[in-house]
Amino acid sequence: MSYAELHCFSNFTFLTGASHPEELAARALELGYTALAITDTCSVAGIPRAWAALKNSPVKLITGSHFAVSEDPDSLATEIILLARDRIGYGQLCQLITTARRRAPKGQYYLSGEDLTKHGLDHCLCLWAPKKLYQVAFEDARQCGQWLRDIFGSRFWLTAERTLENREEEHLQQLDALARGLQCAITAAGHVHTHRRDRQPLQDVLTAIRHRCTLETAGKHLFQNGERYLRPIPVLQRLYPEAWLKESITIADLCSFDPGSLKYEYPPDLVPEGMSPARYLAQLTRKGEKTRFPEGTPLPIQALIKKELALISEMRYEHYFLTIHDIVNFARLQGILCQGRGSAANSAVCYCLGITEVDPRKVELLFERFISRDRNEPPDIDVDFEHERREEVIQYIYRRYTRERAALAATVIRYRPRSALRDVGKALGLDATLVEQLLNGIDWRDRETDWRQQILDKKLTRNPKVANQFFTLVNTLLGFPRHLSQHVGGFVISAGPLAELVPIENAAMADRTVIQWDKDDLESLGLMKVDVLALGMLSAIRKSLGLISEQQGHTVRMQDIPSDDSHVYGMLQAGDSIGVFQVESRAQINMLPRLKPEKYYDLVIEVAIVRPGPIQGDMVHPYLRRKHGLEKVEYPNEAIRGVLERTLGVPIFQEQVIRLAMVAAGFSAGEADQLRRAMAAWKSHGDMTPFRDKLLHGMLERGHSADFAERIYKQICGFGGYGFPESHAASFALLVYVSAWIKHHYPPAFYCGLLNSQPMGFYSPSQLVQDARRHNVEVLPPNVNISRWDHTLENRYQTLRLGLRLIRGLSRQAGQKVVSQRPPNGYQSIAHFRQTTGLDQQSLETLTAANALSDFSENRRQAYWQLLGHTAPAELFVGEAPASYLEDVPVALTQPSEGQDTLEDYATQGLTLGRHPVAILRAQGHFRQCLNGRELLTAEPGRPVQVVGLVTGRQRPGSASGVTFVTLEDETGNINVVVWLDTARHQRQPLLTARLMHVKGILEREGNVAHVMAGKLSDLSHLIQTMQVPSRDFH
Amino acid sequence: MLWLYIHLPNLLLEHISQDQAGKTPLIVSEPGHGLVYQANRAAHELGVRAGMRLKTAVNLAPELVIARMDSGREQRALAQQARWLYRLADYISLYPPNGLLTEVSSLKRLYGGLPSLWQKLTEELKSRQLTGQMATALTPSAARYLAQINRGQCTDCPEILKGLMQTLPIEQVDLPERTVKRLGKLGLLNLNDALSLPANEIAHRLEPETLQRLQQIQGTRPDPQTPWQLPHHFRQRMDFVSDIEQMAGLLFPLQRALGELESDLQWRQQDTDYLKLTFHHRDHAETHLAIRTAGPEHQAAAFMALARIQLEQQQLAAPVMAMTLTVSRLIARGQPAGTDLFGTESDPDEAWQTLISRLQARLGESAINTMVSHPDHRPEKAWMQRALAKPGKTAPNLDVRLSHLPQRPLWLLRAPQAVHHLPEAWLAGPERISGGWWDGERVQRDYYIAQLNTGQLGWLFRDVSGGWYIHGWFG
Repeated sequence: MSYAELHCFSNFTFLTGASHPEELAARALELGYTALAITDTCSVAGIPRAWAALKNSPVKLITGSHFAVSEDPDSLATEIILLARDRIGYGQLCQLITTARRRAPKGQYYLSGEDLTKHGLDHCLCLWAPKKLYQVAFEDARQCGQWLRDIFGSRFWLTAERTLENREEEHLQQLDALARGLQCAITAAGHVHTHRRDRQPLQDVLTAIRHRCTLETAGKHLFQNGERYLRPIPVLQRLYPEAWLKESITIADLCSFDPGSLKYEYPPDLVPEGMSPARYLAQLTRKGEKTRFPEGTPLPIQALIKKELALISEMRYEHYFLTIHDIVNFARLQGILCQGRGSAANSAVCYCLGITEVDPRKVELLFERFISRDRNEPPDIDVDFEHERREEVIQYIYRRYTRERAALAATVIRYRPRSALRDVGKALGLDATLVEQLLNGIDWRDRETDWRQQILDKKLTRNPKVANQFFTLVNTLLGFPRHLSQHVGGFVISAGPLAELVPIENAAMADRTVIQWDKDDLESLGLMKVDVLALGMLSAIRKSLGLISEQQGHTVRMQDIPSDDSHVYGMLQAGDSIGVFQVESRAQINMLPRLKPEKYYDLVIEVAIVRPGPIQGDMVHPYLRRKHGLEKVEYPNEAIRGVLERTLGVPIFQEQVIRLAMVAAGFSAGEADQLRRAMAAWKSHGDMTPFRDKLLHGMLERGHSADFAERIYKQICGFGGYGFPESHAASFALLVYVSAWIKHHYPPAFYCGLLNSQPMGFYSPSQLVQDARRHNVEVLPPNVNISRWDHTLENRYQTLRLGLRLIRGLSRQAGQKVVSQRPPNGYQSIAHFRQTTGLDQQSLETLTAANALSDFSENRRQAYWQLLGHTAPAELFVGEAPASYLEDVPVALTQPSEGQDTLEDYATQGLTLGRHPVAILRAQGHFRQCLNGRELLTAEPGRPVQVVGLVTGRQRPGSASGVTFVTLEDETGNINVVVWLDTARHQRQPLLTARLMHVKGILEREGNVAHVMAGKLSDLSHLIQTMQVPSRDFH
Repeated sequence: MLWLYIHLPNLLLEHISQDQAGKTPLIVSEPGHGLVYQANRAAHELGVRAGMRLKTAVNLAPELVIARMDSGREQRALAQQARWLYRLADYISLYPPNGLLTEVSSLKRLYGGLPSLWQKLTEELKSRQLTGQMATALTPSAARYLAQINRGQCTDCPEILKGLMQTLPIEQVDLPERTVKRLGKLGLLNLNDALSLPANEIAHRLEPETLQRLQQIQGTRPDPQTPWQLPHHFRQRMDFVSDIEQMAGLLFPLQRALGELESDLQWRQQDTDYLKLTFHHRDHAETHLAIRTAGPEHQAAAFMALARIQLEQQQLAAPVMAMTLTVSRLIARGQPAGTDLFGTESDPDEAWQTLISRLQARLGESAINTMVSHPDHRPEKAWMQRALAKPGKTAPNLDVRLSHLPQRPLWLLRAPQAVHHLPEAWLAGPERISGGWWDGERVQRDYYIAQLNTGQLGWLFRDVSGGWYIHGWFG
């Protein structure tokens, strides 16, 4: 006996289905089902995962969807299941889903009876499972059935679903009568919500969450039992007549659609008529060669290009490269800076096509390393664009390919520990305040498993049984999809209507639509997507290069920047990297003097090494030792040498780890691919343990040490979620070099570009301005008579004039008015300014408070006073000269003190150009025992020191167990303070709340990076009690 | 005129933690806001401050107990405190959420000078375990602001009071936020700075309302107050930090409330013979307990003796998160108590209601119940007893179509009974019921309707262990 389950919800019917598609698939296989239909509500989002799990298995996957059809939104719905018979039927199903979804708000759908008749559904089968027939008039049911029967003809069935509920006998009798009346067959089905019966509790919890109630109050919203699971065939045989079970097979046999057959049809638009894609790509590449290598393409590069083109041709990827080229080309014409990265981006072809600036002569990045013949996966190129102008590119794609053919990929938002705890807590009726307290009290940066222990330590509830249930439920719920959101920039572009390939639904953002699959789904089905991402640093670089070009009198582009400038590397080796792309964090600044990058490839490693993967895998120190010749570079065998030679035998990149699994542990290409996916998903729900045994075993078998194997495994875990591949690091490293070069050679342009691209990067404008001044860049305050909206360079590009954009609370519109209305000889007085600009009172006050009107009065208070009370002139005075009614009563206001001015500066601009608050306090006689940041660099290490500074950062990285890194800022720069867990525990108050902190500790120094190992912390905030200093707290 | 303001910065916190030792750090927080509203001393010592983010507070004090903020609760607590102050002073005004204002120039004489009045108030606060910040001033507003920043002094010297008033920081004065910001931008940081400007300039540049407000604080413009009146009943609510599960746990708070009642009755020169206790539960409708005395009474001890007897006999329906003591029947001393319990009832239409209310009065409200259906798949839980709706209140709509109800026997046994001889005639089933895993009363059964050998039509089930039980009888 065999059976095909035709009515099955996965957890992609959000908050209803309680099993993952892959769990359902695996169970169906185990039970020996002939086929399994995944029929999520108005969705095919669960199909790719089920497909991936059932690929090459005897269980046939049927694609279907469940709908509630209503004549008007209020009436009781008729629920039907539609199954796709073939590719055409699948397209019809997708179209229907798209129609129903597009007309409803995000996450909902509305399907009318008319839709069923209007949409061609002749390649779909229809199943109808009427509910509780004993409750309705037979004639009503018959009419409804007749209506469906008329639409679908012989493609219509009644389903009998036995879930062991009250009066089922009566229901089935009626159903039988109905089938006779409609002259159609009955098939058995299961109304499946879980893959096993023991998922019932979670299904109940989901129901309670969906209805926003607790289990206690959910009452009849819950199913009365857990019978909606994939039941073993013997059980089904007891419940259903054989004919009904057989009918399910008959239906399954009619369905032949295989999602794997979905072929991506590339948009043909890009290739000129009469030319093959390959020829066109070759032509464009040749054209690119001429600009890239004006003196003639070097022979090795020619050979490389030939090889790459052959590979692209063989894999039929031409359209993909052409599409990216087209987008990049658009950006170039618009003057939008962009840079490709990813497996296929670092190729000679991409260099010629202008997709990347990574010169194939300078780096030996083997294209084949990234595109493999065996893993038939689509090429991956992410293109970063200036963050402020990416929208233009997105709009271009919509224009070029129309909304019919282009849509964003979805991101499946899944349950994370925090949301799972909150929702399960609510469903179990735990006190909401208590749950919030728990969530707040959990240190999420602790290792993955620890939050559970943390909760156990706090008494969750007096009932230990509830606590156990709670954990089991939360654990199972983790990784469950909650809703679809839009991917940051992954576009799917198709040749025909996209809605026949995958349903499209509304995103939360107006005018945005997303498809029902996310990037992993697309990847597993082998569909192409183009990533259009936003990167702040590209905006900054473009702006800086613009200024440099002006200064030089000729265009300076990224590719014009000379490579291998030893001064630039010298600056980086000294850890002078604030504002430089990727290497500006505290950890990176500490790493630079240790790694001492001296060439481009060192930067590639630098970018990738300060990451959880290499750190948790304990690969950092071995690499540094080998780099500086303190340890011998060895390879266990030649195969491993091939993988690790460029990183001196130490695995650093994600690709290396995966290759290592193949070379050293005997993973097959397919297994390695699974490992890569598991790594990407590990943070949300993946489980790495199945790979652990295989990896350790495989490596030991091949003669590697257990220690090395264990470290590789740890590194794999560390890569989870933050995997950093070489193919991305290579592109990033170029931007590191470019930004460092600008910082070294054109500091005013560098800071100006960065400040004009805020918010971005690691540092606040205040920190960037301080760094600029330490690099001898003169910085001048915003002034209504000089500043523009953006920051500008004055004095032959040597001086940075802050723009009006710095002023908090000033609208762009108001700021631009100040600039556009400015007379050639400037504004003459406050009254003149007010009258000429016509600004509203609020903007005037904001400008005055920020001291941008300093030209017109003694101090900002006096200017402010003048501003108040100047309400609009009465009608009477309109014709008169301003001076006649704007008479001021002289009132002497007290001059602001230096400290008060400083506070005002922080409040209005977030920074001060006056003395640093610490310097002011120091001058007042405070902190006599304290060394400043600069003095730490020459003081004797190992000695007790005292330091003081504004707290600008508190970080507790997951990779450093229990250590808190506090960054203090004084007038000379940043001071690194390291607080060990024990110290932190005893001094929570100053550690967590101080804004001005005094630290007694021991000085440690490596090169010119100093650390203070904290002993005693004191909170001195009262000295600046009302001072507003931005602090990047970790909590 | 001399005004005295009592600011109760921790009112809500102290209201709910009356009987707590105070060793555990405790705060009050508004749900959803994520900010600390009030913090007790233990929390304060760990660095927790009002206005701090909840997250920071939990990090500072991992053992922190958090109670829910509720502005209604705080208002009630304030009104309860107003009662004792009203007994001492005849003119008081309430400043929700946590301030009390009184006019004291007349009281000074009554208590023999300000210092002894101050002393008396301090003692009253202390006996109620309340943190109070007091200040005197020549205007109500000045007294309030000084008390709020705890700069009050026990003085009635006009010069000193004026000096104190002038030092009031501008941000303390409740002016519109925009005005406070503007004054700050002008470098005018306290009241003195602001008042040193020409009055017409203030009105002109900072709006006339600002001038008015400043003058009210200064006392050159009237600032009318709304007097508070003692209500014609006594109501005291006690909120608890953690739910109380045992009756015994309620005795101590009740004793305190009865003490308040005694003082109140004493002052009113009235008695009562009927006290009502209302228990508020988290997930359960509130329950009541009536305490009747034989005759008019005002002594806490007498009430307590009666209450103790009743409480000890009762079981709590559910853990109690708050309790309210209400006395609405106040009898002037020396008058006979109401004796109408078995008097004649004139309105025949109300006979049914009267019977119910009499039975309720006699047996207690919880003794009379009605049966309603309850949405739960488990047969035992599919119905429940509910206290009879009060006359005038309509019962919730239970209009369920009969055809939508499952087939169930009318006679459900109190507990399932094991069946030894299985029936021969099976009529319907199995109906599988599985649920209730969340409350520890899990049910996993297959139900059948069958005719027993005795001819009875029974509702039987087999549970997960395979045992057979009879659960009810069909007619």
